Amino acid sequence: MKHMKGKEPMEPTEPTQKSKHTEKGKPMETTKTSARRLTRRHALGTIGAAAGAILLPKSIARMAHAHSGAPVRLGFQVHRTGIGSSYGRWYERVANAAVARLNDGGGIDGREVVIIPEDDGTDPRRGAEVVERFATGHQCDVVFGALFSHVVISSAPRAGELKIPYFAVSEGHHVASGMLNRYALQPGITDVKSQVQAMAPYVAGNLGKKVTMIYPDFAFGHDHRDYFSAALAAQGGQVLEKIAIPPTETSFTRYFPKIPRDTEVLYHVMVGPAVLTFVKELGEFFGGQGPQLFGFIDSLEAIDLASPGLEFLEGSYLWEGMPRFAQADQSPHEAKYRAAVGVDANGASVSDSRDVSTYAHMFGVWETANIIKKGMEAAHYHGRSDAPALIEAIEGFTEFPLSEDHPQGDKVFNGRTHQVFGHQHISRVEPGGRLLRVHSTTIEETFYPDEVDYTTYPF
Amino acid sequence: MPTPMLAFAVGVLGILGPWAAPAHAHTSEQAFVLLLPTELYITGGCLAVIVSILVISLTPRQTVQCGLASFPLPLRMPSPMVLRLTSLLAGGLFWALVAIGLFGSRDPLVNALPLVIWTGWWIALYTIAGAVGNPWGALNPWSGLYHLLFGRRGRAPLRLPDGWHCFPALLIMGVFCAFSLADPAPNDPARLARIVAAYWAFTFVGMALFGEKPWLRQCEAFSVLFRLIGLVAPLGYRAGMRIGLWGWQLAETRRVSPDLALFALVILAIGSFDGLKDTFWWLSWIGVNPLEFPGRSAVQLSSLVGMVLSIIALVIGFAFIAWSGAHLANRGSDPEQSVSGFALFCAFAPTLLPIALVYHTSHYLVSFLVDGQYLLAALGDPLARGANLFGLGEIHITTGFLNTKGSVRLIWLSQAFVVVAGHMVSVVVAHHIALSLYPQTRRALLAQVPLGLFVVGYTWFGLWLLAAPRAI
Repeated sequence: MKHMKGKEPMEPTEPTQKSKHTEKGKPMETTKTSARRLTRRHALGTIGAAAGAILLPKSIARMAHAHSGAPVRLGFQVHRTGIGSSYGRWYERVANAAVARLNDGGGIDGREVVIIPEDDGTDPRRGAEVVERFATGHQCDVVFGALFSHVVISSAPRAGELKIPYFAVSEGHHVASGMLNRYALQPGITDVKSQVQAMAPYVAGNLGKKVTMIYPDFAFGHDHRDYFSAALAAQGGQVLEKIAIPPTETSFTRYFPKIPRDTEVLYHVMVGPAVLTFVKELGEFFGGQGPQLFGFIDSLEAIDLASPGLEFLEGSYLWEGMPRFAQADQSPHEAKYRAAVGVDANGASVSDSRDVSTYAHMFGVWETANIIKKGMEAAHYHGRSDAPALIEAIEGFTEFPLSEDHPQGDKVFNGRTHQVFGHQHISRVEPGGRLLRVHSTTIEETFYPDEVDYTTYPF
Repeated sequence: MPTPMLAFAVGVLGILGPWAAPAHAHTSEQAFVLLLPTELYITGGCLAVIVSILVISLTPRQTVQCGLASFPLPLRMPSPMVLRLTSLLAGGLFWALVAIGLFGSRDPLVNALPLVIWTGWWIALYTIAGAVGNPWGALNPWSGLYHLLFGRRGRAPLRLPDGWHCFPALLIMGVFCAFSLADPAPNDPARLARIVAAYWAFTFVGMALFGEKPWLRQCEAFSVLFRLIGLVAPLGYRAGMRIGLWGWQLAETRRVSPDLALFALVILAIGSFDGLKDTFWWLSWIGVNPLEFPGRSAVQLSSLVGMVLSIIALVIGFAFIAWSGAHLANRGSDPEQSVSGFALFCAFAPTLLPIALVYHTSHYLVSFLVDGQYLLAALGDPLARGANLFGLGEIHITTGFLNTKGSVRLIWLSQAFVVVAGHMVSVVVAHHIALSLYPQTRRALLAQVPLGLFVVGYTWFGLWLLAAPRAI
């Protein structure tokens, strides 16, 4: 040890040309020193080279253009992290199950289907970046899976620029409103405008015509306010009061006195972490003597309705895109869908009965995957250059019958607006938090006049 | 700033780029938390800390010293050769993870790299370092290879200026936390792989040029961080392995340099802001609708500014606490026995490390419970090709425990217990240090009055953060 320490004061110098040439002839100590210096330099050089190689972005065009026999690559834009991660976890589970089924059935035109997942962080800016990565990096054939509206609204324009078909599973009205482009479609899930307006006939006919609305004071709540008010008026009903709640509010008791005494139905669409507090305070305020309650399952998606504090919801009504609890007349197609995704008859994971799924929405991922397959096969799709043909093929679809491909129910597709329409369900909360479907709308009740004709848009 | 320092700072910023940490939205969990009587719990927690202050104030000096004594363990420190071997293995694992990050699944909850980095290392190892003992010396991925390539006789060609102290590490820590708090995609596997590989290379080159020990002591942020947090742990090394109650190593740390004192404050400030930035309170303050959160991209600047302001506020606030404590204790005393506010600042700052530890542990507990499952699944199938190593492939990820009021209450109370316990450790250690600084107990108590108020206030803040509604 002492000997080695004694060497430390030596100042290392750059190895000279001579030292390199005479390395073998040097005394042992000198040779070791030279070797050590070279080792350090070489090691650093090697590290530098390796680091450079790693830091360089992967080759963008590493995969040649898809050819017959190559897998169909579905870019799955998933809210893995961020505010949408609760939905993203289930959307991913459904996507994997749907693609496994497609492959078990021979893939798409005999080609294997692979999912390329990319987390968008439920972040609009990242959403657009993810679309670009799908289109130019992963060489995906299509993109699907986004739920949150602001992500879709940011991502779809980039998909249009890159000419890659973009399938939203968002239930936003932004596709059918004409806000997007020809490459953006929503064939697997209905939009909020059709859902809300289809509720009005049942509410006016069975619960009451005098309605007070309580909604969060931002775009989501405003959509409900505007669509439902108009639809209720068409049914001869009236919205007595519109109570907008600031989004950061966590206590609601002071808003309840604004509810007019002659209110027959209270329409609520609160979302966010304060939703259970809202329900609890509402129950305490009315003490079971208040108006009929009607809401959207969005407020309570993935929440166990048997939770303490939610007993006030008993007897109230909720919209559901697809009934969470298996109903007595559940179709065999839905039973197979539940089994494939791993969801029990209560809408919870088969591996944990407390792990409630986002059942009212996630079927859209399943049905979208099947429509992509159907569209590609109809268009004789081979690669990205066939994207226009794929979109035209889907635009030509008009109906999707109830089947294993469409376990939520039969649907009507509007090729001009790129939006699908389907049955909506109203369920009543029974004792124990079970949801019993009491009404299903017709598809026609969900129609509204076209607001765009994307088929006239250029590719 | 001297030119080399400036160049160094720019280099570090350039390499690390902007970074991020694990974060999950679990609306149901927060919804149940809002139904809990958290006001009562918060009041109870603060009262417990106040009682601990009163009790420790009345405890005889010898009893306090006995309480923070340590005892030798019949264990030998692993030999340097063993430590190098474990470091070499950690280095191999590190590069395997980098390869997985670059070429494996694009899903951040399937790819092993982000899960190991954020859940295994940043959440779990940080907590283990403070709750048990610091393992970083054996697990850092550089030392083993350094000794293999350069050996003990490999003298560093350059020398780090002593005047830099640990400020380079502090700067790197700041950049790391900025990445953790504000980067839009901290979990992106390939991007994270490039960033951690770059940091590895940067550190290794630094070690090669300036020597292993100086670099790890002054510039490698996580060696400094784990060393500091490790001072909270019951296991420590003082001429042999020793064990004591949490905080005994802090109590024995007589003199702390200003750079390390500042480091401790920065850790706490950043940890606090990490919890604050997701609350409805903060989001409404910056004009963001938490129910329509526009994504991390949209709040990058406000997160960075908030982080910097938190650091500034805590440092200034703590300087005032130290100054006022010194002023109270020095009144009417012999000037030769007086302790300066600066000395008190340096002496008291490390007593905040237990608080920093418990903020970290409680803040990430829910993320750990969820992402820990993904981590186990990824370890069972590291290449994401359907393998089932150790039977881990059969794990079904669940968040069901966040869907019932009973389990949410249990989780919340566990977090609160950890927060309160950490503040109590801080109180005891601060008292011990004050007694060592002041021969008269009365003066020692007076010096702690502002700090005691601060700790009670921070207890309230920590518990409020756990109870507050959050967007992400």
